[in-house]
Amino acid sequence: MTERVVDANPYPWPYDGPIDPARTALVCIDWQVDFCGPGGYVDRMGYDLNLTRAGLEPTARVLAAARAEGWTVVHTREGHRPDLSDCPPNKLWRSKRIGAGIGDAGPCGRILVRGEPGWEIVPEVAPVAGELVVDKPGKGSFYATDLDLLLRTRGITHLVFTGITTDVCVHTTMRDANDRGYECLLLSDCTGATDVGNYRASLHMVTMQGGVFGAIAESADLLKAIGA
Amino acid sequence: MTALTGAAGAAALAAVSSADPYPWPWQGAWRAERTALLVAGAQPAWATRSCDTEAVGSVIAEVATALRNAGGFVVALRHLGPPAGARRSAVGLPPAAQDPDAALLDVVVALADLVVDAGGINGFHGGRLDDELRGRRIEQLVLCGFGAEATVDCTLRAANDRGYECLTLTDAVAPFEAETGRRALHSITMSGGIFGAIGPSAGLLAALAPTPIFQEQP
Repeated sequence: MTERVVDANPYPWPYDGPIDPARTALVCIDWQVDFCGPGGYVDRMGYDLNLTRAGLEPTARVLAAARAEGWTVVHTREGHRPDLSDCPPNKLWRSKRIGAGIGDAGPCGRILVRGEPGWEIVPEVAPVAGELVVDKPGKGSFYATDLDLLLRTRGITHLVFTGITTDVCVHTTMRDANDRGYECLLLSDCTGATDVGNYRASLHMVTMQGGVFGAIAESADLLKAIGA
Repeated sequence: MTALTGAAGAAALAAVSSADPYPWPWQGAWRAERTALLVAGAQPAWATRSCDTEAVGSVIAEVATALRNAGGFVVALRHLGPPAGARRSAVGLPPAAQDPDAALLDVVVALADLVVDAGGINGFHGGRLDDELRGRRIEQLVLCGFGAEATVDCTLRAANDRGYECLTLTDAVAPFEAETGRRALHSITMSGGIFGAIGPSAGLLAALAPTPIFQEQP
């Protein structure tokens, strides 16, 4: 018999009672080749892919459990229109300056461009039919997207996060979700960053001030809570 | 981007060469009248829980005065949350409007050209900030404030996604904890400046100074 509450830090999650599959969404952030695959954007910048790939296996386990329970599953993808008309000029300039220009040709097609091989979600955690896929031009998944409308329409009030990278797209999205009143949990072994110190600090930041952005837990703690 | 020939009068300013990971702003030359200082989290809810509050407050005052004297704009953000009981209770969530912890610090009110209420930790959420900045054709933002890992960092992320060119001042941010504050600044510089650039206030002040007061000694 399980109470369906996660042994999370800094408080048992969620704060307002057992996990309800009808009101909870699993949000998988930017598991794209560009961020965790060979030849993608992060690889081109010279970062260690093992750091961003580390969360794939546990995320696949959580995905299976969430699907079995009938949760809403959301996948996000960062990418720009092929003509880059939705890419701020400073973002474009910075990427070119470090030799990984958005829109430039690479081994996985044009970097961070919608429809290219590098923009696709890696097979380990790819969406299945019926799951929500949200395309975003920025780091946050709520800015210039219909994510909030999709979640509200389904009556979702609680979000469990996986994805990459922890300190950039995952944190930006979790922070915005928290401001919008969603009750958030970040799975610490289902996320990674290009700098391990930034990854650790990002996890800690969630828990500061009594849980300023929500709570964190290991995926095993979530699976235990839902009896998976 | 706005052409530097667009505004009559004030001269273009040189880039802040001490900024990391690139001289800020990205276009090189910039104008103070297209630039706003955002002061985040200047409320007891954040300031009383932050490190180095007094020193940071002095730097913010200096920068605000210099930017305004050069023709820039100063915005104080007031972060507000929903009524008590609507959310889990965490001290780090924004206070309700009627909470004494929500009141802006007097010193910051005196510095600000405009006070903008936000509906969250992110200064762009649930308020008029973007409209107020776009309406003034602001393109560059300088960020500072209290509870920095929360208020400054959330506001920076939202500003960056919206295309604003951002500089976060390393000595004008008061974090909850020193180490996470350093890490929050480090994250900004990843991937060639994923959220813009960071730098000490001295570099910005030097760029804003109308004339050199003394020559640097070799």
